[in-house]
Amino acid sequence: MAAPAPLALTLGDPAGVGPEIIVKAWQALRGGGEPFVVIGDFQALAAASPAGASILTRVGSVQEAGALFAAALPVLDMPLSAPVVAGKASSAHAAMIVRWIETAAGLALSGAVSGVVTAPIAKAPLYEAGFGFPGHTEFLAELTALAPLNGARGPVMMLAAADLRTALVTIHDPYVEVPALLTVERIVRTGEVTAQALKRDFGIAAPRLAVTGLNPHAGESGSIGREEVDVIIPAVQALRARGIDAVGPKPADTLFHPEARATYDAAICMYHDQALIPVKMLDFWGGVNLTLGLPIVRTSPDHGVGYDIAGRGVARAESMIAAIRMASEIAQRRLAA
Amino acid sequence: MNSSDRPVIAITMGDAAGVGPEIIVKALAHADLYDRCRPLVVGDAQRLRRAAQICGLTQLRINPVEQVEDARFEPGVVDCIDLKLIPSDLPFGKISAVAGDGAYQYIAKSVELAMAGKVGAICTAPLNKEALHAGGHFYPGHTEMLAELCGVPEVSMMLTAPNLRVVHVTVHIGLIDAIARIEPGLVERTIARGHATLVKAGIANPRIGVCGINPHAGENGLFGHGEEELKIIPAVERCQAKGWNVEGPLPADTLFFRAGRGDFDLVVAMYHDQGHGPVKVMGIEAGVNITIGLPVVRTSVDHGTAFDIAGTGKADERSLLEALRQGIALASREHAPA
Repeated sequence: MAAPAPLALTLGDPAGVGPEIIVKAWQALRGGGEPFVVIGDFQALAAASPAGASILTRVGSVQEAGALFAAALPVLDMPLSAPVVAGKASSAHAAMIVRWIETAAGLALSGAVSGVVTAPIAKAPLYEAGFGFPGHTEFLAELTALAPLNGARGPVMMLAAADLRTALVTIHDPYVEVPALLTVERIVRTGEVTAQALKRDFGIAAPRLAVTGLNPHAGESGSIGREEVDVIIPAVQALRARGIDAVGPKPADTLFHPEARATYDAAICMYHDQALIPVKMLDFWGGVNLTLGLPIVRTSPDHGVGYDIAGRGVARAESMIAAIRMASEIAQRRLAA
Repeated sequence: MNSSDRPVIAITMGDAAGVGPEIIVKALAHADLYDRCRPLVVGDAQRLRRAAQICGLTQLRINPVEQVEDARFEPGVVDCIDLKLIPSDLPFGKISAVAGDGAYQYIAKSVELAMAGKVGAICTAPLNKEALHAGGHFYPGHTEMLAELCGVPEVSMMLTAPNLRVVHVTVHIGLIDAIARIEPGLVERTIARGHATLVKAGIANPRIGVCGINPHAGENGLFGHGEEELKIIPAVERCQAKGWNVEGPLPADTLFFRAGRGDFDLVVAMYHDQGHGPVKVMGIEAGVNITIGLPVVRTSVDHGTAFDIAGTGKADERSLLEALRQGIALASREHAPA
């Protein structure tokens, strides 16, 4: 059997911590079995590396990456047109940041890479340059929308900590809009995509989902908020009718202590902080962001660009390393299926 | 130990027909409690004696007193401001007007002591709302009763875990109503209540982190409709202008992590689950409800009167011990030593 294809790592915002954590991740993983190739600017990576360009190697195609990986960090060089200043957002880089993501997605769709791990991007400089997506998740869904997919299609954002997986029904929406966004269809789709990913990508034969409420105490039977009665309960019933082991709505404050976590494989959360607060409290440095329900494998660290610490060599790479390992495991599981 | 390091904690007996008397004598049988505080029951000495017999705590001495100054605060002695309201034959497990009125009178007496600076915190045993109403006191619960007796129009709910204290701007209203209710005045008053509580408890210049409302605290307007700018930032700026160490609005997911590692003495949460979730995530017993904004903090057990087991000696005192522990931690260090 041929060696598995490498993963593609997009460089992300070159002025953020992306280049630095990618170099650190390579140092940690070069001896292991998860080869990857960086899609991005060679010079920006060299600047983030204590040993400069000496640890990097340019590749002409991603197929070369696997054999070189133990000796040097392979880079598919797609250079920037403007100099990078660590910690300084610049819309001058936006077009290339977007092209790196597009390239990685294309390589993943063709099978040349086994998955995509994205380093963080900052929204503001991309928006200034006309980028129209809330984030990687929605952009990658668009880039892969026409590719065939066997099963329920996302995108669904999952945040995974050491022993907690959460999937989000709404992601970066203002909270005043969340109640209107919650529909039976949307919750059911999130649950279906999540259950499918737990089976296919995590090897859990009979996944158990716990669905949160929106309001305090999950609405107390409609006395502090109607969304549970009107939308979430019917959605849980619809999931069960489709053979998915879903329970809820559960009060979100008592769903994340150790005994509760042992009762489900993923929590379906109604909004951002419901999921992110427990994930960050339980595993601040090692959390992973995954996109479920895409034709390709995609993970990323669960933190932002860190402009405030970029270029100082102090950024921690645990989350990036966990993201690479998780993408590799999922890719291998899909290959074996 | 200096007595000012051991705050006087008023423990109200709650409904005499419930488990209050039993959990109180069981808790005060823990001698080490007296190393950390001076517990003073406000209740009925005869009822406590009966509870001690039921629980087999025959060594425990119940010491009825008329005022704080008469209390002994020694292990093995339960000092009780004795209001003598409960007939000796009052059955356990039954709703009665006399026990409901008693629960009210214990609170009223404790408020009087708190207003006079004689106690550093109030810790409440459970009352029965039906009995309270039968006794002629028409309050939805403890919190409203305490606020009115203290002449305080607004209070806040605090929760604590080791390394984490959270005060809530809104509590038991739906998410969409909570966002509508939040405005700079309410945020500022909530911060002020938290600040005052910690200063009184001996933290000179508490570091306070304020959560945003939206994901990433709105990410400069990208993930919201400017709720942070409209509702939170003016309040934070007014508090900063007073010289307080207040930071925010900050993304809630990273703020709680930072608070847990020691960057903040207090987190101000905007809504129920934002504040309750982090406290409960570690699996710590977090049911103790803390009311701040009164002249002294009030902590409460996380259970009711348990009429089904009252009078059997089975009631578990651990929630009361936890409520006492949290009351001691937040008790005013400014009250006059007895």
